[in-house]
Amino acid sequence: MFFKIASFEFQYQLRNPVFWVVAGVFFLLTFGAMTIDGVTIGSGGNVNANAPVALIQTMLIMSLFFMFVTTAFVANTVVRDDQTGFGSMIRSSQVVKFDYLFGRFAGAFAAAALAFLVVPVGSLIGTLMPWLDQETLGPMDLNHYVFGYLFLALPSVLLTASLFFAVACASRSMGLSYIGVVVFLVLYFTLTGIAGGEPELRKTAALLEPFGLAAVEDATRYWSPSERNTQLPALAGPLLHNRLLAVGVSLLALGLAFLRFSFSERAPSRRSIARTERQRQRLAQVTPKLVSQLPNARPDRAGIARFAARTSLEMAQIFRSPAFFVLVVIGLANSAGALLYANELYGTAARPLTFALLEPLAGSFTIIPVIIAIFYAGELVWRDHDRGLNEIIDATSLPNWAYLLPKVTAVCAVLVVTIGISVVAAILVQLGKGHTNVELAKYLNWYLIPSAIEMLLLAVLAVVFQALSPNKYVGWGLMALYLVASITLYEMGFEHPLYSYGETFANPLSDLNGSDLGSDRAWLLRAYWMGVAIVLGTIAHLLWRRGTGYALTSRLKQLPRRLLGGPGLVALAGLTLAGTSGFYLFYQMNILNRYEVSDAFEERLADYEKKFRKYEPVLQPSITSVVLDADLYPHKGEAFFKGRYELINDTGTPVEELHVRLADSWTEMTSLRIPRGRISLDEMERYRYQIYRLNPPLAPGASTSMEFETKRVLRGFRANDQDNRLVRNGTFLNNAEVAPRLGFDRSDLLADRQTRRKYDLPAELRMPQLEDSDARSKNYVANADWVDAEITVTTRADQIPIAPGNKVSEVVEGDRRTVRFASDVPVLNFFSIQSAAYERVQRQADGLTLEVYHHPGHDYNVERMLDALEQSLAYYQEQFGPYQFDYARIIEFPGYESFAQAFAGTIPYSEKLGFIANLADGNSVDYVTIVTAHEAAHQYWAHQLISAYAQGGTMLVESLAQYSAFMVMKRLYGPDSMRRFLKYDLDRYLSGRGSEAIEEVPLNRVENQGYIHYRKGGHVLYLLQDRLGEERVNGMLAELLDQYRFKSQPYPNSSELVNGYKQLARDAGELRLIEDVLEKITFYDLSASRADVRTLPDGRFETTVAIAAAKHYADGYGDETEAKLDQLIEVGVFRDRPGFDEFAPEDVLASEWHPIRSGEQVVKIITDERPIYAGVDPFSKFIDKNGEDNLIEVADSQ
Amino acid sequence: MLSLQNVTHIYANGTRALDGVDLEIDRGMFGLLGPNGAGKSTLMRTIATLQTPSSGEIVFDDVDVLAEPERLRERLGYLPQDFGVYPRVSAYDLLEHMAVLKGVADRQDRKSTVETLLVQVNLWDVRKQAIAGFSGGMRQRFGIAQALIGNPDLIIVDEPTAGLDPEERNRFLNLLAEVGENVVVILSTHIVEDVADLCPRMAVLAAGRIQLLGAPQELIAATNGTIWAKTISRQELDDHRERHQIIANRLFAGRVIIHVVAESNPGDGFTAVQGGLEDVYFSTLNRMREQAA
Repeated sequence: MFFKIASFEFQYQLRNPVFWVVAGVFFLLTFGAMTIDGVTIGSGGNVNANAPVALIQTMLIMSLFFMFVTTAFVANTVVRDDQTGFGSMIRSSQVVKFDYLFGRFAGAFAAAALAFLVVPVGSLIGTLMPWLDQETLGPMDLNHYVFGYLFLALPSVLLTASLFFAVACASRSMGLSYIGVVVFLVLYFTLTGIAGGEPELRKTAALLEPFGLAAVEDATRYWSPSERNTQLPALAGPLLHNRLLAVGVSLLALGLAFLRFSFSERAPSRRSIARTERQRQRLAQVTPKLVSQLPNARPDRAGIARFAARTSLEMAQIFRSPAFFVLVVIGLANSAGALLYANELYGTAARPLTFALLEPLAGSFTIIPVIIAIFYAGELVWRDHDRGLNEIIDATSLPNWAYLLPKVTAVCAVLVVTIGISVVAAILVQLGKGHTNVELAKYLNWYLIPSAIEMLLLAVLAVVFQALSPNKYVGWGLMALYLVASITLYEMGFEHPLYSYGETFANPLSDLNGSDLGSDRAWLLRAYWMGVAIVLGTIAHLLWRRGTGYALTSRLKQLPRRLLGGPGLVALAGLTLAGTSGFYLFYQMNILNRYEVSDAFEERLADYEKKFRKYEPVLQPSITSVVLDADLYPHKGEAFFKGRYELINDTGTPVEELHVRLADSWTEMTSLRIPRGRISLDEMERYRYQIYRLNPPLAPGASTSMEFETKRVLRGFRANDQDNRLVRNGTFLNNAEVAPRLGFDRSDLLADRQTRRKYDLPAELRMPQLEDSDARSKNYVANADWVDAEITVTTRADQIPIAPGNKVSEVVEGDRRTVRFASDVPVLNFFSIQSAAYERVQRQADGLTLEVYHHPGHDYNVERMLDALEQSLAYYQEQFGPYQFDYARIIEFPGYESFAQAFAGTIPYSEKLGFIANLADGNSVDYVTIVTAHEAAHQYWAHQLISAYAQGGTMLVESLAQYSAFMVMKRLYGPDSMRRFLKYDLDRYLSGRGSEAIEEVPLNRVENQGYIHYRKGGHVLYLLQDRLGEERVNGMLAELLDQYRFKSQPYPNSSELVNGYKQLARDAGELRLIEDVLEKITFYDLSASRADVRTLPDGRFETTVAIAAAKHYADGYGDETEAKLDQLIEVGVFRDRPGFDEFAPEDVLASEWHPIRSGEQVVKIITDERPIYAGVDPFSKFIDKNGEDNLIEVADSQ
Repeated sequence: MLSLQNVTHIYANGTRALDGVDLEIDRGMFGLLGPNGAGKSTLMRTIATLQTPSSGEIVFDDVDVLAEPERLRERLGYLPQDFGVYPRVSAYDLLEHMAVLKGVADRQDRKSTVETLLVQVNLWDVRKQAIAGFSGGMRQRFGIAQALIGNPDLIIVDEPTAGLDPEERNRFLNLLAEVGENVVVILSTHIVEDVADLCPRMAVLAAGRIQLLGAPQELIAATNGTIWAKTISRQELDDHRERHQIIANRLFAGRVIIHVVAESNPGDGFTAVQGGLEDVYFSTLNRMREQAA
């Protein structure tokens, strides 16, 4: 009986359209993730798209979203019979409860498992697609798919199936089951969110996280690319326990379901009987309104009534369907996840400002509306047919538009409601986070209204496709094709929005600049596509299928006749709208601007490299002085620049040619004058490169000059690109974008390995070797020279212009404000120009003027930024030497990018980075201070000392800046709190290794790899100062600065710094440590396996810590060899676990440096107080892939 | 009033469902009789603008039905052979919805239309119940109620009495008879009594062709003296089938009454009887089958 029931149930589920819809959706999702560039789950860099780890992650993430599906399947088995009234029949039969309940469960679960099979199959078929870059694929190994499906994903599917089966058995309600799903999801995202922010909780999360995602992440976290490409995580340890736990919990839930499920039907309650009776009596009292002659129909007057009746019917159909609820809940869960952690950085939450929430919200909600539109368009268009009402209705005089418009309206309304609910979710998140400034106008204007129009476009398309299709499935298929096409065609180079239905392109948001960027283009595109939608709608109206035997061909025959009159006028209106807006857009995009697809752009860069890289060794004179006048008209999108460079030939040889480059395609060179220079090659148009021949050549030591005028005038808008630098409020330009550079440099070449290979370029351009002394002739900031700069910026009077330099004058004339900035010390020829309506906060500190320019209202962290500037500059002046300016300023710019950047005394800082960080929780990582201190440190490490463009170059700039920031944090928060910051950087270094695209190098050979120069650099330099002494290290750094301050070529490289450290070594151990962390890739594996305490006769406590230690060297690809460890390492005993929130300096009972060697050893520490925790390297100063086992609870010795 | 000329419909699979149908139908009830698969529903749907024929012409009053189906629909009431309903929607609400669709624009007009019709078809007491739970007869009465909304000039009812018990059927036919006086009502059925009881004019459709056309009374009168009956036991039936062209047989008190058509007394114990419409119908079908054979 069990098997009969199970097999019946299985077949029942397979006949259910839900099964096929779900299978289709999940297939598309995984197929898309595999085949679409830019959508990656778990891959990227050197990690293959079909790397086992990536495949597994895809499956597990899908299993999370699949829970809605499993719930639909299993809850349906319980609820169905009660709904159809079939239940009593079945229960009175001879079926026993076990067979009935579990037979059905087994059948439904089998169907769910079968449906889930499309996930691995989608990935697998995806890997076979010819357009994939074969370099990103490893060999196909079916084992990976089978392992992931059977051992990882299937237990998750079983878990959700059992859990919600139990809920359905207990509640006998579909709605309550889904509410159970919601509760589960809310708990899930909240708990994983908390755990994700705390590295300490990773092991617990790995065990308990129900889908195995945390366990897989834990098992593979620090895997190198080669490991990721070839290995599956072992089904052992936390991963095994996690999966077993999932199965165990499933069985438990099924057991509970069995107990809770009652076979007998619930009798109607006395109340419901009474209610029925009351209703009967009430109805009996109504007397009908009778007429002897029925009123005639007046179809000509019934338009509004028909539209209203149909629309409300269609909407009720959707709103009352359980599937709608499911889809909205999926969307909400999705967006809740995005919103709760939106803009989080270093585990520190961001304030939920509306502008910053809308993008993650829109991003997380993109696929759901499309699915709703596809699904419901089919349901609505075919409903009367499916219900058998079509003949009656089609034979009425209901005009075709009264079918079409209500269906479009209903689908659109449902979509808008869905979006509306997401707004409610966003507002709840805001209120929940204590943010009471709910900006409804922004929700409305920036999100709801534009989305509503886009939803309408989608609804029209979906309904029209259905109307023209011979059945629902063809209609669905057409929409799926549209969906795939709209994604893949763009990837294939069809990027023009005028032929991509519904495309309106990004309209990034900012509090500074509102929705201004891309807004006009988006609205015109909406108008254009609305026009197209009207035409499509008219066609659907004319071709609407009525009755049964109406083939499309016979409807087409009637089309011309029926076009006359109203439909024709509507179509004409649509055509006019689409035509005029389309023509205008085409004029803007293809005539005023050049339409260039990404492939063409890439090809141009590739050609540029092929043609011009031969000029890389050509030495150019240095710029010694820059005078620049910038005239900004931010509201018009226009800016005009006029500048003069003074040049000196410091190359030692005569210079015959000046190579001029203006890479930025938004800016045009309007004039360029070089005395005695004649243009000998002009490729400005295509390659932004010109060569001027000097006659006579510039002799060594001789000077010359160069005058230029450029303009950046935004004409209309481009099809697939927009200028987010010169904007209405919040302009942020740098000199490379507006002024010519000299000589070929690599700053704007193709970087992606696959793209480079595609254009027959070497896969990578490596930096010059550390040992290459020629490389010392160029520095790494695009070879910017030390110059005297005088920058004058004119802008609207209601905006404040800022550029590096002392403000020497400010004049307001009419509606123009002109501010002149001049520097009295050399600055790099690398500067920013900003303009916006700022509020200015100023502080005088120690002779310095500290300023923050921010958007009104964004003042949350302004005082903290000023504190950070004050504290860090105080530390740097004390430790490293004089600060070269008497000002330091932070200037907010729109959150189109999320970074801070150090120009001379001037730090542009993204709206999304520090200005909206929420540091109210004292335990969060104060990244505002870290980032500010880091950028302030660049005033020394970049703006006083600049390194050569060679391996290790960024170590002198970025690693030292990060080190300096850490030292400021250490002074502010105390050395014992540093573990928090160190752990984050260590973690990001270790995980960054996994996405390395070329090879990992030791710190002293770093080639501009962020995870090495920031993350590893800050971490190991902190360790070195701890070991060698802060004063001694800073003294050495101050000397280095003295030696290279404002020095041009030969520029220093990392060997100077490494040698500086080596000179500080007092013994072989210290020297070895320096070599290990700076010149090698070294991993320490330290762990405390036991700690026993005993009371000494004098009442003190002796703790014996058993320590295991090992050291490995890794090569660039992650292959490790063991090396002998013999190093002083800290061993400590504590009252509390270091690194946890409440940890205070008093909790450190003792922390001492002990010699630690490879293998096992014990260390004894005597303290006055009984310790609770003990451990080796307790503050995570060494690079240890598993820092969790460094600490252990202290036990009483026997 | 309604005129069909040479209406032919061939389905995509080659089935010739209608084969040169010519019909002139005036006001009043018109019965279209035919066996299952004769093309009745195709013809009904074609007239109801739900299907376009492969060729032919249909004109109602002054409306060219094929060219301007919209105009016919404004004057049409149609009850298809079977129809479904929306789940959880009450009779009142669905009828009101249908009234809107048929263009009863005024709210008060709609109220009186719906309530009058519900009383008329005797569904007033169950008006708030979901139609999905109605019996077959209740559902058909609902069907006729919706067909009557807005006083149509042309009412097409397709197999309305199939599956109804005698009382339900009576009530239904009475309803039809009431409305059928001033407008064109086409009643398609395979049940002879429906036509006999109601229709002043009728046609027999079989194999896509009109086999017989006229007033039932005249058609019956034409059979006078040609219908012979005999009561036999069931065991004798096969034997008689071999010897005579039996056009009809029915059980009566455990024995079988058989009818045959013959110009003169076939002997063998047959006696002359007054023929009924059933005999007309079955003899027509018989004749047709003989011709086909």
